[in-house]
Amino acid sequence: MLLATATAPLAVACTTPPPPPPPPDPLAELVKAARSDAALATAVGAPETAAARTEHAQRLQAEVDRATPRVPGASVPPSTSASVAPPAGASREALVPALQAAQKQAGELVASVEAHRVGLVASVAAGCASLVEALS
Amino acid sequence: MSVEAVQDALAAEHAAVWTYGLVSAFIAVPQLSAAVADGATAHRARRDATERWLRDAGATPRPPAAAYLPPQPVDSAASAVAALIAVETDACVAWRGVLERTGDAALRTSALDALTVSAVRATRWRKVAGVTPTSIAFPGAGVG
Repeated sequence: MLLATATAPLAVACTTPPPPPPPPDPLAELVKAARSDAALATAVGAPETAAARTEHAQRLQAEVDRATPRVPGASVPPSTSASVAPPAGASREALVPALQAAQKQAGELVASVEAHRVGLVASVAAGCASLVEALS
Repeated sequence: MSVEAVQDALAAEHAAVWTYGLVSAFIAVPQLSAAVADGATAHRARRDATERWLRDAGATPRPPAAAYLPPQPVDSAASAVAALIAVETDACVAWRGVLERTGDAALRTSALDALTVSAVRATRWRKVAGVTPTSIAFPGAGVG
């Protein structure tokens, strides 16, 4: 049994080409937008928006991490996290269009995303709409 | 079972229509009365569309209850707004429930719309009530 588990991956590696890298996770784009909005909101003094978009980024990243196939023994890929610098000359006027774009971006995934992800993605879309209303 | 989830969403819409009717007597500020009227119209339209969807799916839409119990008695503008926050929040939960139980793209699209507009109206009423945070980070998730 030990021998089998040790040699089987080698045999596969010798006879088949390496598998193609998995397609990018569509939720990764939502994470990027959420982090960027959080940075913008922080820079322009909108703490409620910053907090909500940070939570969005965390929950979405947790789902991306959960779904990412891992090679046993490989180190955990750094989840390109941490601080995102807000664009230079960030203004409060940029916040609402950014949130509207994020709402649309998440909303467009709702029709096709897997059943276990759709609730999260839909709540992020509706949450962005709620943030826009809160800022109005 | 998406039919059962849609029946739950219909129940939430019935409750919303009933509650918007109930509170209208307690909200006298013109701007807020207009928002109450908008919400009532939107929930009636959503209720009718939801009943149509159920009939098209071969199901019998469940009728409304005779009355609904708000979280606290409605006897003032403040308690009226609290009742509206409650029904909009419940509608968010019900429509997210529909999303999680169907793979049908058209149903998902209309459920997302229902979730979104209820989240926006819940936020509007939270703002009127002075609830913080004003926004809801994950509408329909049952928390926050």
